[in-house]
Amino acid sequence: MIAPDLSTNIGPLRLKNPVLLASGTCGYGEELKDLLDLNQLGGIIVKGISIRPRPGNPPPRLAETPCGLLNSIGLENIGIERFIREKLPWLQGLKTSVIVNIFGESTGEYAEMARRLDGVTGIQAIEVNISCPNVDGGIVSGTDPEAAAGVTRAVKRSTDLPVIVKLSPNVTDITKVAQEVASAGADAISLINTVLGMAIDVRSRRPCLARIFGGLSGPAIKPIALRMVWQVVRSVDIPVIGIGGISTYEDALEFLMAGAKAIEVGTATLVQPSSAENILAGIRTYMESNGLHRIGDLHLHI
Amino acid sequence: MADVIGQVQICPDVFLLTLRADEIAEAASPGQFCMVEVRSHGDMDPLLRRPLSIHRVVGGGEIEFLYRVVGHGTYLLSQHCPGDRLYVLGPLGHGFQIVPGCPAILVGGGLGSAPLLFLAEELARDMVTVILGAPTKEELLCVEQFTAIGHQVLLATEDGSMGRHGLVTDVLSEVLSHGPDPRSCIFTCGPWPMMRAVYDMAHKRGLSCQVSLEARMACGIGLCLGCAVRRQDGQGYLHVCTEGPVFDAERVSWEPRQ
Repeated sequence: MIAPDLSTNIGPLRLKNPVLLASGTCGYGEELKDLLDLNQLGGIIVKGISIRPRPGNPPPRLAETPCGLLNSIGLENIGIERFIREKLPWLQGLKTSVIVNIFGESTGEYAEMARRLDGVTGIQAIEVNISCPNVDGGIVSGTDPEAAAGVTRAVKRSTDLPVIVKLSPNVTDITKVAQEVASAGADAISLINTVLGMAIDVRSRRPCLARIFGGLSGPAIKPIALRMVWQVVRSVDIPVIGIGGISTYEDALEFLMAGAKAIEVGTATLVQPSSAENILAGIRTYMESNGLHRIGDLHLHI
Repeated sequence: MADVIGQVQICPDVFLLTLRADEIAEAASPGQFCMVEVRSHGDMDPLLRRPLSIHRVVGGGEIEFLYRVVGHGTYLLSQHCPGDRLYVLGPLGHGFQIVPGCPAILVGGGLGSAPLLFLAEELARDMVTVILGAPTKEELLCVEQFTAIGHQVLLATEDGSMGRHGLVTDVLSEVLSHGPDPRSCIFTCGPWPMMRAVYDMAHKRGLSCQVSLEARMACGIGLCLGCAVRRQDGQGYLHVCTEGPVFDAERVSWEPRQ
């Protein structure tokens, strides 16, 4: 039996396998060093960073819902300079792809961050977060196709690194945003970010989150994510990375069958830090026992 | 994975869970916590593990958790029996800092006495005062255990059914009125308003005060940044999982909590 080739190409970025850790659920990697062998994975997408440090939103920031988690962290992060100085050196020692997730409050800020990361050793790609539901303005660039394209163009002009644009599901037609982003030069698209949601504590008679709305993640959103990945795969020519409630290798296979070239494991890592390793092992075993040789063989051409 | 060794109901909604977890028992220090799985294997829901402070470490690699059933997750946890196995991540976070040679005053409100027992067992015998309080006698927890260590134990109940009729802070106020050793450390855990009152008393007298906080948490290891608590200096937030759960009370903003 030939061992399956799990490598996958995300535009110019070659990953050794399709399992990535999703931004915002794996810190800056080092937090997981004793709990997971990051080098086994296809890559890690570090916590979203902004130009300046952000303190994040007031608590409560979390609420658990059926098979889901609502969060309104608000992109708390240490800012790009401290990231490069304090967090990147450890990441540079990894033998896997490091992808940096960036968030800007304006097109100019996105471009400035892309410029700052361009040529920095140890970074293989940029994931552009145009879809955070928890910061003012965050959702705007993700839901307006033209704004999304503007950010994409600005980032592409500012870096030679592969650019992945992460889309929001909180739109009427995801394919419109995807097509605009693709035409603007994105190397790949990742989706979905969290689904805008809300919960109320009936005992205290207050919304569970201080900011009232938050982003829903976890198994609860997987069918929505899968449907959107299916649609986007069929509407653009660039690679798609599937995200949304992936907790098991079967979940991951569904996204790969829908046409995703890679997947990101998010909330599952919070619940069980070694989830991504188990998912990767499951994909490998499935491919072996079904005689599939490449990740692309999983894609259903329907 | 940890084996469930015991699951005992202490009072109507409080349970004592004993797990066999050698590595955690070996490494744990007072005030640290674990993320404990509550659902059964194969279930997707509830999604998250629950953060529980370590109540005690007992011989043979066992750890105990004293917890209240407050919702569906802790209810499911209470249904696990000896023979079951649970995913447990720990010991996590920063626990209490014991200052050798300094007298200690432990103040626990209700279930807040849970992490204090582990601490009490590690402290030198002759310099510890334990103050425990609860609404009623039935809800006063661990009185025998603290007494058995040999510490002085003072009690308060809001209905007067045991100990002083009043709050733990009334007892603390009296203890402090005798002019405590200025090196005294106060260690406290309990409801937010109680901890705030304890902090106020410590602050006024210039005494050191360590508080064990709880917060909604998804991961317990600094990945999600969900367990934020406002800093007293206004410079953003503290994270209960990695910077706590025990903090110097001077670092925490004691504004009323939602």
